[in-house]
Amino acid sequence: MSGATGHRSRRRGERHPASRNGEISMDVSDDQQVSGGTYNTDGEVARYSGSGPQRSVEGWIVFVTGVHEEAQEDDILDAFTEFGKVKNVHLNLDRQTGMAKGYALVEYESYEEAQDAINSLHGTELLGKTVGVDWAFVKPTASSSSGRRGAGSKPHYR
Amino acid sequence: FSNTTQHLYIILHAMTEIEGNCSSHDEFYVRYYVGHRGEFGHEFMEFELSPSGKLRYANNSNYRSSTMIRKEVYISPAVVEETRRIIQSSNIADLDDSKWIEPTKDAGRQELEIKMGNEHIAFTVAEIGSLVDVAKSVDPEGLRVFYYLTQDLRCLMFSLISLHFKIKPIP
Repeated sequence: MSGATGHRSRRRGERHPASRNGEISMDVSDDQQVSGGTYNTDGEVARYSGSGPQRSVEGWIVFVTGVHEEAQEDDILDAFTEFGKVKNVHLNLDRQTGMAKGYALVEYESYEEAQDAINSLHGTELLGKTVGVDWAFVKPTASSSSGRRGAGSKPHYR
Repeated sequence: FSNTTQHLYIILHAMTEIEGNCSSHDEFYVRYYVGHRGEFGHEFMEFELSPSGKLRYANNSNYRSSTMIRKEVYISPAVVEETRRIIQSSNIADLDDSKWIEPTKDAGRQELEIKMGNEHIAFTVAEIGSLVDVAKSVDPEGLRVFYYLTQDLRCLMFSLISLHFKIKPIP
C-alpha cells in the first residue's frame, strides 16, 4: 500500500489531520504535503479540506485500520496507552469468523494524546501488520451537502 | 502469449479497471434500514453514509413511550475507506435478491443500498431473525453473505455512534 511507508513526519501545526492522505487509500501519493492551510486539489484530499478533527462527547477518537485478525484488546491497549490514558477501546470482531474485523477505535481524553498517537503509530507495525491511524470524526466542511443518493449526482469534490 | 494467457490478461485488466474505478474519488453511498410496524409503532433502525462523509443514524420505537433517536456525524476518509473495504470483501455485489423472502406486513423489512464505483446495488428482504432463517431460505448462501455484511456494518456504525455520542443504541 502506498500509504503505509513508515513514520510520517509531524506536520506543521495541527491542521486538518483528517485530510491527511494515504492512510489506507490505495492510490494516493505520499509526497502531498500539508502547507499552511491550503491543500492540493487532488480529489481525495480536497474532499475534506477545510475541516479538521471533530471532538466526541467526552474525548477524541482515533480510528485504526489494518489490524491483524488475531489482535486482542490488550495488543491495542499496549500500543496506544503509551500516548495517554485510553478511555475506551472498540476492537470489533468479524461476525462470521470471530476474528478481529480489521479496525479498532481508541478514545483519548485530550486532543494532544490522540494526535500524538496518530503521528507516532500511523504506518507502524502491530503484530507484524502495518496499521493506519487517523481521526475517526471530522468537522463538517462548509460546502458539504447531505449528498443523498441520486442518479447522476456529481462526485463530491471541493 | 497463448490465447489463454491473452484472454486471462484481458480479464485481469478489466478487473483492475473496475477495481481502479472503485477508488476514493468515486461517490460512495451506503444505506441500511431494518424495521417493522407493530405493537410499538414503526420500530426501525437506519443508517446512511453519504459521499460527503456524513453518517446519519436513526432509531425509532414507541416501546414504553420511547421517541426517535437521530444522530449525525461526519466520519473521516479513513473510516469511509474501511467501510468500503468491508463491503468489497464481502462480495455482496455478486448477489441477487430475487429469491429472497419478500418483506410482508408481519415479516418486517430490510433494505441495503450501496453505491460504489460503477456499482449501484439495492437489496430488499424480510427481517432475518437468525441464521435459522438463513438456513431455511431458498438462497442460504446468498442470504448468509447479506446477513453477515449487515451485521458487520451495524457493528461498525454502532461503535462510531455510541463512542461519539456516548449512547448505547438498541442492537
